[in-house]
Parts: sequence; structure tokens; C-alpha cells
Amino acid sequence: MPLKTTFSEKLFNFCNYFLFVLVGLTTLLPFLNLIAKSFSSEAAVISGKVNLLPVGFQTGTYMYVLKDAMFLNSLKNSIILAIVGTALGLFLTTITAYPLSRVQLRGRKWFLLMFIFTMLFSGGLIPTYLLMHNLGLVNQFPVLFLPAAINVFNMLIIKNYFEGLPDSLEESAKLDGASNIRILFSIILPLSLPVMATIALFFAVAFWNDFFTAMIYITNHDIKPMQLFLKELLVSSSSEFLKDNVDAALNTTPQSIQAASILLATLPILLVYPFLQKYFVKGVLVGSVKG
Amino acid sequence: MKKGSWLAIVIALALTLTACGGGNGEKPGSGEKPSENGGEGGAKPNLTMLMQYSLFDPNADPVAKNIEDVTGYKITYEMLPAENGDEKLNLMVANNQNFDVMKLGAAQFYKLATAGALEPLDELIDSLGPNIKAAIKEDSWKSATIDGKIYAIPETGSGVSVGEELVVRQDWMDELNLKHPTTPDELYEVLKAIKAAKNVVPLTGTKDSIYGDIAAAFGVLNEWNDVDGTLVHKAELPQMKEFLSYMNKLYSEGLLDSEMPLNTAAKAIEKFSSGNAAMFKLAWWSASPAEAALKKNFPEAEIGIIPYLVGKDGKSSVGVNLATTWYIAVPKVSKLKEDAIKLIDSKLQKENFIKLAIGEEGVHHEVKDGKYYPILPKFNDDLANASSYMTGVNEHDYPTYWQARVRKDPVLQRYYEAFQENAAKGNIVIDPMSIAPPIEAVSKNKQKLTKLLDDAALMFIAGQPIGEYDAFLAQWKAEGGAEAVQQANDWYKSISK
Repeated sequence: MPLKTTFSEKLFNFCNYFLFVLVGLTTLLPFLNLIAKSFSSEAAVISGKVNLLPVGFQTGTYMYVLKDAMFLNSLKNSIILAIVGTALGLFLTTITAYPLSRVQLRGRKWFLLMFIFTMLFSGGLIPTYLLMHNLGLVNQFPVLFLPAAINVFNMLIIKNYFEGLPDSLEESAKLDGASNIRILFSIILPLSLPVMATIALFFAVAFWNDFFTAMIYITNHDIKPMQLFLKELLVSSSSEFLKDNVDAALNTTPQSIQAASILLATLPILLVYPFLQKYFVKGVLVGSVKG
Repeated sequence: MKKGSWLAIVIALALTLTACGGGNGEKPGSGEKPSENGGEGGAKPNLTMLMQYSLFDPNADPVAKNIEDVTGYKITYEMLPAENGDEKLNLMVANNQNFDVMKLGAAQFYKLATAGALEPLDELIDSLGPNIKAAIKEDSWKSATIDGKIYAIPETGSGVSVGEELVVRQDWMDELNLKHPTTPDELYEVLKAIKAAKNVVPLTGTKDSIYGDIAAAFGVLNEWNDVDGTLVHKAELPQMKEFLSYMNKLYSEGLLDSEMPLNTAAKAIEKFSSGNAAMFKLAWWSASPAEAALKKNFPEAEIGIIPYLVGKDGKSSVGVNLATTWYIAVPKVSKLKEDAIKLIDSKLQKENFIKLAIGEEGVHHEVKDGKYYPILPKFNDDLANASSYMTGVNEHDYPTYWQARVRKDPVLQRYYEAFQENAAKGNIVIDPMSIAPPIEAVSKNKQKLTKLLDDAALMFIAGQPIGEYDAFLAQWKAEGGAEAVQQANDWYKSISK
């Protein structure tokens, strides 16, 4: 690193910071606005007075949302979905990735091609729906995570990571008499925590944020996940939905309560990031192979 | 093979049901216990009902429990999703998913009925639906009749009622010594005066509600209008051009909100309640939060309701559509069609219906001077979602009962009643298509044509030369408008003979 920074470098840095702060703000400000709205009085929200700070501070919205049986139930569903879906997805994706990462697997190229094919082409919505229906999965909770349990993109990332691990590790374990499964779980996986953490986060966020699957397959209120509930909360207050439907218009949800619901639904997944953060930075591989 | 055996089961089931249902002449709503039904029919079967989307859990709501208590039927409810409901419905029907009762919108009903997915109900209603027949008016049945057969029980809404009217900041009007305008020309002067004095948006509006007050003053009343015995769509009315030119004048002089083509209803309320707009068309169902927000920001503010503007004929007119909102159908796949009709019949029985619509007197509602008032909070706790469960309404009583919903909030009630009263001072013109049966070209193209017209109307208001309207109209006609007008008139001639 040079001791002195030239003017052009300074200018470059300044522009960089400026741009990134700008980009950062575009994602941060709507969020702050939402927080402010959720703590503001409905009158202030309706008349568009709320920017980044609450106007007419109140917490009644949160009391209301936290007592709402539909909100709590969908929150429970989403938490279960994120945990079960991530665990299952990680397990299935890993045991798929491991054999495919070994060059000695026969027909490896062909298998890989088949997997990648599904990444590029799919049967389309209606055939998929019919399949789920014939499998008896429509309106069943597992439909939310089973079809998405193996994600080819995530599988390829794990596979590539596995391929990067030195072959000598596996060889030495083999010489000690370890089976393939033992090698995967005792040698490979402990070395793969960073990629596992990353993929776990990918899965968790994907399951948490997915409303489309639920929208297509789920009509039973008991098993609706959070995002679908939020979607419905917003749609049922939109003017398009309320047009010509006076009875629905009489029962709309105030905007401040909508904001509080969205915020409460985002918090849990936000809390996951700090715990996984350390795995992203850790260099696990250091010192595992000597010489 | 498989189909055959199912058919046999259905027939057998139907036979046993008619066999045991025929003799004892049971009163709907009386038989809660299986023993009362007698015979081997035994307990009332569980039914499944498909509802339209609404934000609550239909199986956990008190109304569901109430319906079970009143009719004796245990019902499992399923809702269409909030978005893409039509697609989901098609998927479910294509899959033969079982429902016994379906509450459908007009387009959904027409599609399923013509696709042969719905059961014709004439005979079932004749034999099992005395209360249904008593509750529904002759005109309404027409809306659910296709090729001479009834495919659904029509559910109309709350009767003749108008939803929107122009409101203004009365405190500003008083300050500027302005009187309520009565004609479009006076409205123009008032808006000009407000603009000069207050430097706010004189009139705001939304992309969703282009017509109404002002359009009505020009004679653009309903979607369909009777002009000397012929049905004319509003797009074809020569008055449409006058209305659009007038709106364009307001727009180009800055009297109409330049963001109107983008505004949602919430945005218009925002502008009005934050003191950035002086006038807009308020829907009575949003009156309560809008007034509260305005008063919070400006405690001295007053809202004045501008009487419906008078047209060239010197009278004010308001257009009202009384079309059937929902269609209660029984799909062919149902194995419990008779029970489905019995359930609907029981729900429409006079005492049952009032209980399901507005609850019990003294508990959920009270009657003062022949008007129904809700008792809060019990009414909201138990009946907030009652409308979603309705399967047809008693058309003679419901418009009166329903007003209890409006009276659960004094502000709401005030605006609702003021709007109705103002409308009653002029002509209330009912859309002649309200009683039409589903007409193919009309139903099929309705969404597309409405969007086409609304988009164009906004363009003309925002400055597209009105001379191009005829070219637009030709396009509108070519894209299905002409066909719709033709078929609508074929029907209209057939009833006016």
C-alpha cells in the first residue's frame, strides 16, 4: 500500500463511498420509513406526514399485531418451515453434492447434466400443480419445502467447494479405514462450515421469503406462512381489491398496522444474520493440511 | 370403469337422500341432532364451501360457528387466494376438487357455467328451496339463468346505494365566501378561486374512479345507458367527449391534480387530509379515517359535501348498478347437491337469515324507529365477516338489515346517509344491464374493455387531443366493444318486447 494517496485516488474513493452510501440508503430508507409508520398514529400515516421519524408516537399497532391469531399462527408456520426446510434442504443438497464432487463417480457428467437441465427448464406451473395434486401435497404443509429441498444452484456451490478440498485428506481417511459416509461427515463437513453456513442462510432466507409456493398450493389458513399472510394483508387493502366490494372496504386494515406486521415478519430472519456472520469470515481450512 | 362406479355412488346417495328427505318435511334449521332427521340418512353430512378471499380465517370465525348452530350443517370453508383467484379456481375445477357450494364472481360463474362445471338448480330449488324462492326477486334470477336454466343463486348487495360524492374543505370555502357549485361551470369557477387563494391542488382524483359526480352531470351515468330504447355503452356516448374535454380543461389549467392518472384512493385521501388538496371524491366507506386524519392535522377544518352537480336538463342524476355481485353455485362434482341446497335454503329462512346477517336483537343489534343499529363491540366481534359467508340474501329485507353495518361508526353513518339523501334529490338511474343474464361477449371482454377505456380516458384528460377520440372508439369497438354492444342489445330487445 502506498503511503501517500494521490488526488485521483482520493477522488476515486470519495466517489466510491458516495455511490455506495447512496445505494445503501435506497434500501435502508424505505425500511426506516416503515419503522416510523408502524409507530405513528394512523391519522399521520394516512395524511402522508410520516417520513423517517414517527409522528404521534404509539405502540398500539404492535400490541394489536402480536395479539392477532392469524399473524401469530403464520409466524409459527414460517419458523417451522424455515427450520425444517433448511435442515432437510441442507442435508439432501449435501449428500447430492458430495458424490457429484468425486471424479471417480461413474456417469458423473451425465448426472450433472441432468441436474443442470432442471435448473434451466421446468415443466411449467400447471403440470407442476397437477403433479403436486396427484402426490396429495396440495394444501399440505410439506408442499412448502419438499419440492424445494434440493436446489441445484446451491448444490453446485457445495460441490465446487468440496472439489476444492485437497484429495489427500480423503486418501488419508481411506487408509485409516473410513467409509465414504464417514469421510463425508467426519472429514469433509467439519471443513465445510463456511459453505454450509452460507447455503443454510440461502435456504433459510428463501423459505422465509417464499410466498409464491404457498399462494399456489395453500388455501388452508392453518398452514399459511408469514409471507403469504403479509401479501394478503396488503392485497386486501389495495384499491383494486376493494373496488366494488363495499363489505371488504368496511373492514380494511389500517396502514400503521400493516407496517407493524411487515416489520415483525422481517425481524426473525434479520436476527439470523449476525449468528452466521462469523462463518463467512473464518478461514477454516488453515492448518488442516501440512507439508 | 372408475367413472361409472362413482356415478353409481352419486346416484345411490342422491336416492337415499331424497328418500329420507321427502317424507318428514323437516323444518330447516330445526334438526341439529341426527335423531331428528330420522331414517338412515342420519346426521347431516359435512359440506365444503368455496369462498372469495377476505382477510380472516373462515374456519375459526364466529360466523362459521353460528351457521353451524343455525343450520345444523358442519361446513369446511376454503378461500380463493387474494390474488390470481381465477387461475386457482380453474386449477381446482380442472382437478375435480370437491366443493358442495361455491361463491363465485360474475366472470367466474359464467366461465364455469358455460364449461359445464355447474349443476342446473331449477329442480333442486323447486323441491328443496322454498325459502330461497321467497328470498330472491324475479329480476335477480335472470342474472343467473343461462339458456333457460338456473345455474346459481344470485346474491345481490345492499340495494340502491351510491358510494361516492365530491367533498370540499368547507372552512376554505367559507373563508373565501364561495358557495357550493351546482353545475360543472360553477365548479370550474370555484376551483379557480381556490387555486388563486390557497395555492393547493384544487381538485384531486384517482385513476380508479374517473367517473361519478362530474361525469354524471354531463350525462355519463352508468356503464350501460338506455338511449331511446337502445343500450349504449358509456364509451359510445357523445357526452363522454364533453366530459373528457371538460376534465382536460381542468387539468391543463392546473385545477385538477396533475398526478391524478397515478393516484390511488389512499393517495387522494393523503392529499386531502394533509391540506394539499381542497376537493376530491370521497367514498363513504373511507370517510371515517379520512375525516379523523384531516381533523388531527387541522382541528378547525370542516368537510362539506357538494350536492350532486346538475346537468344540462337542470336535474342531478346519479348512476347506480344493481347487478348481482355473487353467484352461489353447486358444482357438478359435489356428491351432496341436495344438502347444499338445503343448507342455502336454511340460511335464507327468515329468522335464520337475520341471525346470520346481523345477529340477535338485544345482543348484536337493536331496532330504533325501524332502523337497525349494531350493538358494539359485540356486533363487530361476532359479525364483522358475516357478509363473506352469505349465500344469497333475502332481497326484501337485506338492504334494511345491512345498514346496521354502516351505523357501527357515526362518521361513516353520517356520510352514508348524506350521500344517499343527496342522491335521492335527483334522478337515480339504474344501469339497465343490472338484470341481464351473463352475456358472452360482455362478460368475456369486460375487463379488457374497461381497462382500455379507463386508460384512454386518463390520456384524454391529461392532454391527448379529443379529436382522436373517434379513432380510439373505433379501436375499442374492434377489440370487442362492438360485439358486446350488439349482444347486449339483442338481449335488451328480447326483454322489452
